[in-house]
Amino acid sequence: MEYTISTIAPIFIFPFMAFVVNAFFGRKLPRQGDWLSVGAIFASFLYTLRIFGDFIFNKFSTDYYVHKVFNWIDLSYGDQFFKIDLGIYIDNMTAIMLLMVTGVATLIHLFSTWYMKGDERYGKFFVYLSLFTSAMLGLVLADNLLLLFVFWEIMGFCSYSLIGFYYEKEEAGNASLKAFMTTRIGDVFLLLGILGIWSVVGNVNYVDIYAAISQGLFEGHTVMGISLASFAAFCVFMGTVGKSAQVPLQVWLPDAMMGPTPCSALIHAATMVAAGVYLSLRMYPLMELGEVTHIIAYVGAITAFLAATIALVQTDIKAVLAFSTISQLGYMVLGIGVGSYNAAFMHLITHAVFKACLFLSAGSVIHSTHTQEMPEMGGLRKKLPITFLAMLLCTLAIAGIPIFSGFVSKDRILGDALYWGLYAGQNKVHFIVPMLGFGGAFLTAFYMFRMMFLTFFGEPKDKEVYEHCHHEHFEFNRTLPLIILAALTLGVFYSGSLTGQGEIKIFPRAAQEWFKILVAAPEVKNFESYTKEKFDFADTREEKVWEKAHYHHQSGYAGVNPDNEEGIHHAHINGAVASVIIAFSGVLLAFFLYIRRLMSPDFFVNMLKPLHRLTTHRYYFDDFYIGILLKKGLLVFNNALAFLDMGIYDRIAIDGWAKVNNWIYRASKWFDDVIVDSIAVDGTGTAVNLFNLVLRVLQSGKIQFYFVVLIVVLSGYIWSLNFIS
Amino acid sequence: MISYGSYLLISAFLFVIGLIIMMARKNIVAILLGIEFILNSAALSFVTYSKFITKNLDGHIFALFIIVIAAAEAAVGLAIIIRFFQIKETIHIDEATELRN
Repeated sequence: MEYTISTIAPIFIFPFMAFVVNAFFGRKLPRQGDWLSVGAIFASFLYTLRIFGDFIFNKFSTDYYVHKVFNWIDLSYGDQFFKIDLGIYIDNMTAIMLLMVTGVATLIHLFSTWYMKGDERYGKFFVYLSLFTSAMLGLVLADNLLLLFVFWEIMGFCSYSLIGFYYEKEEAGNASLKAFMTTRIGDVFLLLGILGIWSVVGNVNYVDIYAAISQGLFEGHTVMGISLASFAAFCVFMGTVGKSAQVPLQVWLPDAMMGPTPCSALIHAATMVAAGVYLSLRMYPLMELGEVTHIIAYVGAITAFLAATIALVQTDIKAVLAFSTISQLGYMVLGIGVGSYNAAFMHLITHAVFKACLFLSAGSVIHSTHTQEMPEMGGLRKKLPITFLAMLLCTLAIAGIPIFSGFVSKDRILGDALYWGLYAGQNKVHFIVPMLGFGGAFLTAFYMFRMMFLTFFGEPKDKEVYEHCHHEHFEFNRTLPLIILAALTLGVFYSGSLTGQGEIKIFPRAAQEWFKILVAAPEVKNFESYTKEKFDFADTREEKVWEKAHYHHQSGYAGVNPDNEEGIHHAHINGAVASVIIAFSGVLLAFFLYIRRLMSPDFFVNMLKPLHRLTTHRYYFDDFYIGILLKKGLLVFNNALAFLDMGIYDRIAIDGWAKVNNWIYRASKWFDDVIVDSIAVDGTGTAVNLFNLVLRVLQSGKIQFYFVVLIVVLSGYIWSLNFIS
Repeated sequence: MISYGSYLLISAFLFVIGLIIMMARKNIVAILLGIEFILNSAALSFVTYSKFITKNLDGHIFALFIIVIAAAEAAVGLAIIIRFFQIKETIHIDEATELRN
């Protein structure tokens, strides 16, 4: 298949058309048009499979990409260059991302037909889902930041609408508003970053940005004393912080759980929040150039740890999952920060799969029990065996148990972080970053199994809920997505070796580690010769032999210095061992606390009272933002503005203007009365009256009088000719 | 040979007669007759000047046009008078003071 815009666009257009048709005619279609949404995304999935196949099965090298553009706006005149091109950019990362998005979205669409059944706004839900999916696919396909930003905002809108889907509940409305406004902060930064890049590169294509970085165009530009590269990189990263719910903008994601559970699975676990990480990965060369990677690493590590601690004390099953999502996103961001490009992206994919499955399982549980509170559940594994199995596999994955995908990706991130903290030849203070990561991993294993044990094990705590819960049996649209996603949590799909790092191989070399070899940080020096003239409609296809890269000698480890093989190896071996120990100890702790009940959890609560209070209040972020920033800070600001408005603007400008107006009024009144009224208006009247006297005589209606007048006038005229000549 | 002054004198005579009829008579038919007088005086003037001064056929052609116009005007005028009479049951000119009804 030739890769052109028209052959790639259907991936994006199928769901979009489903959105358009469902939005306008959904009510008239059978089943409110859900089959159209599901079918459209499934068609995109089939379409994507082919691209994935082309890119994955040894056709091209890792740095191969397809870049096609069309001209959107061209205001160039003479040597003034202003041109905006839109287009598609597909490389290995895009291909993998596309497959993940379409695959997960298809299964979630399918699951939604069961979960949302009987809802009064059933059709509307699919309208939003289709719009969201098309926006996400557009974002992945976009070849420049501007187009990405457009889809980014559409996704923000869909997120807003779906969080507030049950808008009869006041919390849902508030949550949707909160999510929208909080991500907006990041979006403003992102736009600033895009403009900053534009000011230097003159374009926001990924390819152009890479080329500009390799050509050193960013050097010498500063904004407010800091280099423009740092400024732009920071601003773009703030976009990630907003969208991917990193500290300090993580407050919106837990509230976003007000939406229907399938939308939480799709938007707030698998795709939209991952889009922020995707953006940072795309802009990774800029992050390196701007030297913001340390900030990124710290933000990621703190997020991963803090969110994990908050998840410990949550009782709402979806809240646990929400905080675990924040925590896992923190790992991805941490991975970007420590230069673990490949592993961060791998974690994005594995997390999308197992977290979507976790949310769908939670949806299955919630739909069956009609409660979200874990203390009311318990013992559900007999009633919901398939859901239990799926959730167990995903929990094992997220907890980082070997042979599952979560171990493969998270362990690689932690290994790289360990290397970054210990061996990379920098200040040893940065060792705190991998420590936070490992601490978060321990907590993750603990709280995820706490959730499992509270929900599925033990005795039913609320008889009524337990009795009410129906026995689960195989339903196509409920169970199939769970089974498929749960199966995909096995690590072998992502890595040929047990650890994901080539240590313990399962498959022979030919097929192993495809993920690690295919995805690599963009080498900006490959783009150095790249100029704008070549850019239009350029097909850069180069068929290369697939490099069978060795673990120690492959380019997939961008950021980590490949010279220090010893260090990398040590870090990863130690990291893997530590990960396994930590994961199992976390699981064991949960087991002892919640199954064996050797100790009551209250013991820890009493021992760590201040910490418990901190975590139950979510570190007072919400209280700080709403209580202090909004109520105190913004209120004072509001009062100042009110004073400015009432005291100064109103008093001086408005009232003063009223006085001036009064004077003008008097002057114009005099002018009106004397000049216009007396002289002009009345004078006109008088003049008309005078004419009237004359004309009334003339207009007698007597035709013969007219004749006389005519004759007199004509005679006078002729007579007067004597005097002229 | 009759001098062209005589022709013009007759023409002026006819014109004045027509004028006086138009101004003095109250009967609309009479006024129409006065107009005919005036038209014929004009035609006579045309023919006179054509015959004695320009010495071509322009004036004659004009006279023919005037006769045609006079006929048409008489037809239209009489039609108006008949309608007027049907409405007002009189042909007194002073009754014709309204443009409507």
